[in-house]
Amino acid sequence: MTTHRRLGTAAVLVAALVLGACGRDSGGGEDAAQPVSEGKASGEITVWAMGTEGEKLGAFAQDFMAENPDAKVNVTAVPWDAAHQKIASAIAGKQTPDVSMLGTTWMGEFAKTGALDPTPDGSIEKGAFFPGAWDTTVVDDTSYGVPWYVETRLIYYRKDLAAKAGVTAPTTWDELKSFATAMRDKGGAKWGMNLQPGGTGSWQSFMPFAWSNGGNLTDGDAFTLDSPQVTEALAYYQSFFKDKLSPPTDLSLQGALEQSFINGTLGAFISGPWHVGLLTEQGGAGFKDKFAVAPMPRKQSATSFVGGSNLAVFKDGKNRDGAWKFVSWLSRPEVQIKWYQAVSDLPAVQGAWNDSTLSGDPFLATFGEQLKDAKSPPAIPTWEQVAAVIDGEVEKVAKSNADPAGAAKTMQQRATGIGTGV
Amino acid sequence: MRRRDLVARVGLYTVLGAGLLVVVGPFLWAVLSSMKPEAEIRRIPATWWPEVFTLDNYRELLSRLDFPQAFANSAIVAVLTTLGNLAFCSLLGYALAKLRFPGRRALFLVVLGTLMVPSMVTFVPQFVLVSNLGLVNSYGGLILPFLATPFGVFLMRQYLLSIPDELIEAARVDGAGELRIFARIVLPLCGPALATLTILTFLASWNNFLWPLVVATTEDKYTLPVALALYSVGQNRIEYGLVLAGAVAVLLPVVIVFVLLQRHFLRGIATTGLK
Amino acid sequence: MATATAPAKAPAEANATAGARPPYRLRQGLAGWAFATPFTVLFLLFMALPVVASLVMSLTDLRSTDLRTPLAVEFVGLDNYARLLDDTQFRRAALNTAIFVVVGVPLTIAAGLAAASALNSGLVKFRTLFRVGFYLPVVTSIVALAVVWRFLLDPEAGLINNALRAVGVTGPNWLGDPNLALPSIIVMAVWRNFGFLMVIFLAGLQAIPAELYESSRLDGAGRWAQFRYITVPMLRPTLLFGGVVTSIGYLQLFEEPLVMTRGGPLDSTLSVSYHIYNQFGFGNYGYAAAVSYVLFAAIVGLSVLQFRLLGSRD
Repeated sequence: MTTHRRLGTAAVLVAALVLGACGRDSGGGEDAAQPVSEGKASGEITVWAMGTEGEKLGAFAQDFMAENPDAKVNVTAVPWDAAHQKIASAIAGKQTPDVSMLGTTWMGEFAKTGALDPTPDGSIEKGAFFPGAWDTTVVDDTSYGVPWYVETRLIYYRKDLAAKAGVTAPTTWDELKSFATAMRDKGGAKWGMNLQPGGTGSWQSFMPFAWSNGGNLTDGDAFTLDSPQVTEALAYYQSFFKDKLSPPTDLSLQGALEQSFINGTLGAFISGPWHVGLLTEQGGAGFKDKFAVAPMPRKQSATSFVGGSNLAVFKDGKNRDGAWKFVSWLSRPEVQIKWYQAVSDLPAVQGAWNDSTLSGDPFLATFGEQLKDAKSPPAIPTWEQVAAVIDGEVEKVAKSNADPAGAAKTMQQRATGIGTGV
Repeated sequence: MRRRDLVARVGLYTVLGAGLLVVVGPFLWAVLSSMKPEAEIRRIPATWWPEVFTLDNYRELLSRLDFPQAFANSAIVAVLTTLGNLAFCSLLGYALAKLRFPGRRALFLVVLGTLMVPSMVTFVPQFVLVSNLGLVNSYGGLILPFLATPFGVFLMRQYLLSIPDELIEAARVDGAGELRIFARIVLPLCGPALATLTILTFLASWNNFLWPLVVATTEDKYTLPVALALYSVGQNRIEYGLVLAGAVAVLLPVVIVFVLLQRHFLRGIATTGLK
Repeated sequence: MATATAPAKAPAEANATAGARPPYRLRQGLAGWAFATPFTVLFLLFMALPVVASLVMSLTDLRSTDLRTPLAVEFVGLDNYARLLDDTQFRRAALNTAIFVVVGVPLTIAAGLAAASALNSGLVKFRTLFRVGFYLPVVTSIVALAVVWRFLLDPEAGLINNALRAVGVTGPNWLGDPNLALPSIIVMAVWRNFGFLMVIFLAGLQAIPAELYESSRLDGAGRWAQFRYITVPMLRPTLLFGGVVTSIGYLQLFEEPLVMTRGGPLDSTLSVSYHIYNQFGFGNYGYAAAVSYVLFAAIVGLSVLQFRLLGSRD
């Protein structure tokens, strides 16, 4: 017995030595938002942003520094690859910057560490943002940041193949099915419509169907993954594979998605705004006229997925007030439009979409319209793990013809076992 | 006899040549493709020779990154890490292989055991330690955790085990001190092993991605792989052209180190005068 | 035949009586620790300490949400290890990893040894070319290799299936078929890693005195007999090293499935390390640490086995 206790003490000592002595801290949920001081920002503001955003934000912030001459914004660009690991480690080592860009699905986890500062009232107006995007910042009824830019998913389809098949863009679930069939049987495509057949991130492809059918991931603290609505959506999703309308291998995994679409073996797929650029680059001259985007088809609703990135302020940062002033500056509609012009990130602030830069482009206008009905998963700390469960069951439904009701039940059981972690 | 030799020789070259083709072929494609536009790289079926020859991928890397700074950081970290490993690992490797001292076996087992711990599990504790030591965003934080690696000790010990004890004993009988024996007799015999350790350590340090990414918090401390990953892998898309050009750029120094050192594999006991 | 690996017979006793110098045993003990100290200090701080901390972590319910307050977690004893028993994904991952190691390690060692022996045989010109060529995959980053492999393995238009089509065979979907994905990954790993072993073995081959080969040739031994009775026994420490290091690496199979298959299709290429990576990604730090130490135990077990089979009497 004594040896055991001594071992235990030694272990805790080692842990303390390595991990550093830290007192208990309140986690998320009990935080109260503190107001931000009046006046201009001052001091150094360190910012982490991923990839292109990180590359361009430094120069973009010149305007902010011109407005706030005493403030200095220092941006570090972080590769997307392993950015999550970098931020998690920084939180553990208390080496966080003042502001960081965060993936929308990371919010629950990082907020719950107690590392994020609750969004202050006043300077930031909740109603200005797309509601689906704002929801990604809300953890246990408290907001921990603001949406920076958004993306949502639409149906990309080949106009020429659709014309050949004698169909127009689908607006309902039934039409989507007959559309995909016609694209294959009359349009000449090998596959009518690509749906992600499981694998990482396929929940983003599946959940819009569940949401459009009135299904939901959670109700309060309980998961509702085995509801009739989710089961029915799974069965609908599965029917595309059963009827050989969708390829059973994941085209996107090996970069074959764009090529199949361009050479006409694939009639349609679901993806976000970045594919407009990818297809235009790879399709060669004139390909931009051969495809179009359409909103998600309607069942009870026509709901899509909203992703993108948020901006959050860290409690362990050194310049909280300056950080929030910078974030609030980035959320101004006119700044959001300029940011779109700089890096093509779609504004998260609804007001920015009235500008002709965005409303004048037929592709973008459709994305803007879809954003009004787009949802995100609840910001819970265990989301990545629950998402992997959904991915796994979607794969079984798509590839090994698993029973949708059984798959929904397994999802529910395993998700409940994991819990929401709030 | 001559005829048999000829057959053996032709056979050997055929096999080696085929192997080279299988190994280098894909690699050659990567080098050639780094000089194609993005759309051509992605085209299926792929092209071998660039239809449109361009250095844009390289130009883009050079213009968007602080290439000289990242290169210098990588070089500093890799060279110091390699030197440290050469010194510390050969000292301990020699002690473990040839000196009898109390705790030798235990020390070897602990070091070897650590080599077997999956590196993912120690990542966060290691970072918190470096952070508590105040080494975040410093060369110290990038180098110190890799200065003494179990892998190097294991390599040196195994190599030194195959060096005859008689040599060392003879020097001891002549009254040479242990450090002198090590420097004058043992090290010169270790050419091939030290060359191997140099290449492997340099390579590991040069290609290391996750640790420098997390420890460097400003871009002026980024190493080459970290800087190269900045724009090639996005949230929703990968730029194959930048990936390939970056890979070639990272690769060159390692290949040079390898070519310079590989002739040391030829030198060994056969040429050190050991009879 | 005496081998160079045989430890010298009791040098300590032979020298114990040697005059005025400090006792031989003490002198060697001091020298041993003097040589060991620089490494050991760095090692204890930067390696051993984090290892101990992670071991402690595996006994707690630490999640990523506790990272800022790691001491506020509960000790849960061996609960994390017990949970493993019910983890069907872990079992699948363990099976995949075992297959990968059992098939992949011997293949890689054979390929590396074959390349090293061929290049060491004295027959070959352009040695540098071959050495550098075979080593290229080892030094190339996995992301770049993924781009290349994609072009080779594409089911519709990849180089391999195009070649098969030329001889009238319809090639399969190498990475999309749950039965073929793991074998494909094995081939990729052998392709990528045998150059590493070649380098190690080349160094080891240099340590074999040329006289042994010469005298055996005078005795009329053929190349195969030389390989069997001189090269392999003399190379034992190096073979052991190569086997252990490759096994350690292969038991931690991770990068290939990460870039090529994401562990799919249907978990057919999910490895234990990938499972650990996922668990860390999910934020289950305590559990991920426990899985890591189970993997560690497997690595130790396999290494002990190899030391038994190949090790000297040391």
